[in-house]
Amino acid sequence: MYREFSQIGRDLFIQGLNSSHSGNMSIRLGDRIVITRRGSMLGNLKETDLIETGLSKNDSRITLASTEIGVHRSIFKNTSALAIVHAHPVYATALSLLEDEIIPIDSEGQYMLHRIPVIGFEHTVGSEEVARILPEYLKEYKIVMVRGHGSFAVGQLIEEAYQWTSSLENICKIIYLTRTLNGEIKDRKSDQYNKW
Amino acid sequence: MYGWTGKILRANLTNQKVSIEYPEPDGYHKFLGGRGLGCNLLWREVTPETDPLSPGNKLIFMTGPLTGTKVPTSGRFTVTAKSPLTGTVFDSNSGGIWGARLKKAGYDGLIVEGKAEKPVYIVINETGAVVKDAGELWGCNVPDTTKAVLAAEGTGYSVACIGPAGENLARISCIMNDNTRALGRGGLGAVMGSKLLKAVAVKGSKNIKAAEEEKLKFVLYETNKWLKANPITSQGLPEFGTPVLVNLFNECGVFPSYNFQESQFSEAEEISGEVMAEKITVRKKGCYGCPVKCTRVTRTARDEGEGPEYESIWALGPQCGVSDLEAIAEANYLCNRLGLDTISVGSTIGCAMEMAANGLIDWDLKFGDTGKLRPLIEDIAYRRGVGAELADGSRSFAAKYGGEQYAMQVKGLELPAYDPRGLQGMGLGFATSNRGGCHLRAYMVGPEILGVPKMVDRFSIHGKAGLTIFYQNLNAAMDALIICRFIGLAVAEEYFARLLTAVTGEEFQPQDLHVIGERIWNLERLYNIREGFSGQEDTLPGRLLKEPVKSGPSKGHVVQLDPMLTDYYRFRGWDSRGIPTAEKLSELGLEVM
Repeated sequence: MYREFSQIGRDLFIQGLNSSHSGNMSIRLGDRIVITRRGSMLGNLKETDLIETGLSKNDSRITLASTEIGVHRSIFKNTSALAIVHAHPVYATALSLLEDEIIPIDSEGQYMLHRIPVIGFEHTVGSEEVARILPEYLKEYKIVMVRGHGSFAVGQLIEEAYQWTSSLENICKIIYLTRTLNGEIKDRKSDQYNKW
Repeated sequence: MYGWTGKILRANLTNQKVSIEYPEPDGYHKFLGGRGLGCNLLWREVTPETDPLSPGNKLIFMTGPLTGTKVPTSGRFTVTAKSPLTGTVFDSNSGGIWGARLKKAGYDGLIVEGKAEKPVYIVINETGAVVKDAGELWGCNVPDTTKAVLAAEGTGYSVACIGPAGENLARISCIMNDNTRALGRGGLGAVMGSKLLKAVAVKGSKNIKAAEEEKLKFVLYETNKWLKANPITSQGLPEFGTPVLVNLFNECGVFPSYNFQESQFSEAEEISGEVMAEKITVRKKGCYGCPVKCTRVTRTARDEGEGPEYESIWALGPQCGVSDLEAIAEANYLCNRLGLDTISVGSTIGCAMEMAANGLIDWDLKFGDTGKLRPLIEDIAYRRGVGAELADGSRSFAAKYGGEQYAMQVKGLELPAYDPRGLQGMGLGFATSNRGGCHLRAYMVGPEILGVPKMVDRFSIHGKAGLTIFYQNLNAAMDALIICRFIGLAVAEEYFARLLTAVTGEEFQPQDLHVIGERIWNLERLYNIREGFSGQEDTLPGRLLKEPVKSGPSKGHVVQLDPMLTDYYRFRGWDSRGIPTAEKLSELGLEVM
């Protein structure tokens, strides 16, 4: 388990999807969850950075758990997810400040994710409001952007949630690049995903 | 002036006169309030080598610039005196609402001096203060005293008082306020008892305005965001109280037991925050303006009260080999009623238990003697039988029977619930604490276990001296503001500076708080040096320096104090004997001292 967390944590960091101390990951093990430690460096995780605590019930280890544990718990309790990756991808976060949804314009993005909702909250870090609303979106979507904050992706495995995170950032980079190129996009298939 | 009322009460119990003083603003700016102003006053007003239990000692109740404002946990106040337990300068602070009411009555503090001819209590409200006869209160426990004072003075008062332990000059007695909050450590209850002062009742409802209300509102909004987001302040402490730390620290191998012979307790789970929440917690409760609400109202089969807190669970539990949660809670209730410091009581009893096991005393007492706790606590408070010997703390008791090595104390103050062999920085913090074996001066479990602000290697000594100094200074400033240590687990010092700026209307940067904290730390050091202390006392019980932990995660470790201490003195700008240099004092504006 540690190996999986540390490898994916490192990849998230190297790919620029997280800054030095941002982001968190978790997996569900029945009534327990394992989540990264508050303030840990995903790019350099140690075994003691993996904190096991209850899915619903707190115990003493709550004092070490990620600030986003409330959101992770809520997602696990309200969706079929077994793994969550929360990241701060730069291009996706920038785009989330401008858009209410992110529609991929590249074919892989369209194939994989179709549409990524962007939801805004007054408080975005460790927020009860995020914990309440986000799972509703994650029942339908693999990944959701919290405006100006970052992405929450779900999967059966951490690698899967990582894949959606990585794909999202690629999608957003392509959108950014095409906008800066100022040309006309020839393929407008993306319009069909508006109502996905 | 915002942040301070600019008025301090002085009650001379010898002649029963109460006066109001208007201190120079410079003192406020240099020391802020609370622990800082208290130390400054003690330095100036209590002559060297004063017997702590003589009329010459003073008892200084002090609020801070944030007290009584909308800042979370700002109901706190400090009491400073020369300690009868340690002989050092000593401040203890407490929550509840007493501090906020003193400020709202229009006073920053109260200096009590002299000694009354017969028991008295002081009543403070917005019209002034008077000294009243407390003859009928003498002998009463804390709840009865509180109840009687409130009945006599009417609603809206808050009471700080001593119980029988303070009256009987137990050097491990405390001052209680609002019935169950404690100015726990250092025997300040005995100082109050020595003056025949039974209680201080305060009533006040003045609105404490901030200089910049809009700015304060926004900084509070940001502060509360962090308090809500951080799992320690939004979940761990609110749900379990401080006992949330029991299992965590036990798993880390820093939860001492059997008088620090072990660094774990095999039955920790039975006395953990989780089990406490399930079995005896009735509801949670908070101090003035506190969103965390870490206090537990609890009930056992035979009794009810508040607590026990983490430290009390440890002291009255594993330190004495006791694992019966209800018995620990009841012992804690009893300490609260009699006005005793739970940490020092439990630690001193644990010391006696080990001495009995090793044949130094011929008492029928052994680790795990759950049934002996309550009778011993009563004996301590009333100085009856063996209790009379334990009432002066473990150092004095152990020395009497030639068992100094069994007293787990620093400068006379019993160590709290952390085995520093698994927390090197905490070890340095204990050794260098100006009030003796105290965890709150540096609170190095922040970076060493809780990862606040970042996780450091708890077994390493590298960088610990610098980090310890940083937190000692910052925490001294927090104790002068005064706000609860737990806020610091979620909110950085930048916020404290902004809060102080908004309340006072004067510009404070985070670095200013560090300088003020450093000034307080150095003045405390000077006070102790004036009382005859030196670097010799900056040490730990031999067990922690020489006996490696036998098992568990801290196995094989001792505290590597010497190299850390050398760095510490150097980094502090002190000489190799631990004495502040003239240059350092000048830098801090303490040269006149």
